[in-house]
Amino acid sequence: MSVDMLLVADESTEEWADQGFPAASLRSDREVRDAYERFGTQRRPVMWIADAVSPLVALAEEGELLKSNHRLLLLDETTEVRKDLLHLLFRVVVAPGKGVNLLPMEELREVLASDERVDLFIAGIVDSASEVAVLYRGNLAPVVVPFAWFLRRDPSPRPNFRAFQITDYGQSVRFGKYEASTDAILYAHDPDYRRRAKARRLQQDDSLGACIHRLRLAKGVARGDFPGVSEKQIARIERGEISKVRAKTLAAIAARLEVDPSEIPSY
Amino acid sequence: MPFALRLLDAWARLGWKAKIREDERNEEPHVSIIFKLWTWRLSLRTGEFLDSTPPPRNVPVELVEWIWSQRELLRARWDEKYPENVVFSKEDG
Repeated sequence: MSVDMLLVADESTEEWADQGFPAASLRSDREVRDAYERFGTQRRPVMWIADAVSPLVALAEEGELLKSNHRLLLLDETTEVRKDLLHLLFRVVVAPGKGVNLLPMEELREVLASDERVDLFIAGIVDSASEVAVLYRGNLAPVVVPFAWFLRRDPSPRPNFRAFQITDYGQSVRFGKYEASTDAILYAHDPDYRRRAKARRLQQDDSLGACIHRLRLAKGVARGDFPGVSEKQIARIERGEISKVRAKTLAAIAARLEVDPSEIPSY
Repeated sequence: MPFALRLLDAWARLGWKAKIREDERNEEPHVSIIFKLWTWRLSLRTGEFLDSTPPPRNVPVELVEWIWSQRELLRARWDEKYPENVVFSKEDG
């Protein structure tokens, strides 16, 4: 049997289980241990959700079990030492505090219980030293977004990376007065999401020119900003007036848009 | 700051929002209609929904009509945020 989510239930998450939260509930230390041993070797990552960390910390302290591919979401703050211990068992550990922003609890529960959770962000952290935001999807898969991506269009207002918040049930990411849609972030950073998003479009021109047009807008590049290719030529390609684009021209366009030429049709 | 269209109280109280954020998927100009976990993109050129999922029928018709009645304001706000991809460009005729 394949399992996606496990809930280490305690007093505060008991009602999640009672209200039909779609995760198997583990209600004792024994059940936690059994589940880890049973699903630990499962190749597909399992997402564990826990409020009380004690049963998991106890498991880690035993030092007998091998690290799994699993991901752990803690609903409450914990110490760095305990997080380090939990990293002995889990590949990803996300907990509120220390700069980690989590969705408000009511929104979080709805997102985690939904079929859409993989396409919504539930948590994140900003690393100013590396100039990246690490955003966690509803299955705790991380998406690393460089600050430069948010700045590529020279937006107004500019993002204030110190004022970070996930909002709208994980559909928006806010940096001060600047707000980005999760849809735009995933479209730019996840080819699989991009394919699914394209499939959802009601009417879409899938010609090469239309793909270049969408990609150019997504990257915030002006038509006149392609070295070696004139503005007029870009406009004609986008409008489909040039049916066969020369390989050299396509390579120049792809290089300016920072993608491999083969990736262009995915936009 | 994202542009949030002020909706009638009845819609707003239920949790509906209509926004143009600083970073939307930047293809056809649109307003994002948001309700809880779902977003519908409504074209600012044609008034039609851009995506088949989530199903457009799940947005109340009266809400869509009200948002569309504010299209001139929404188009102006989109053009301010996305001058490189305005709602109606000269090239589009």
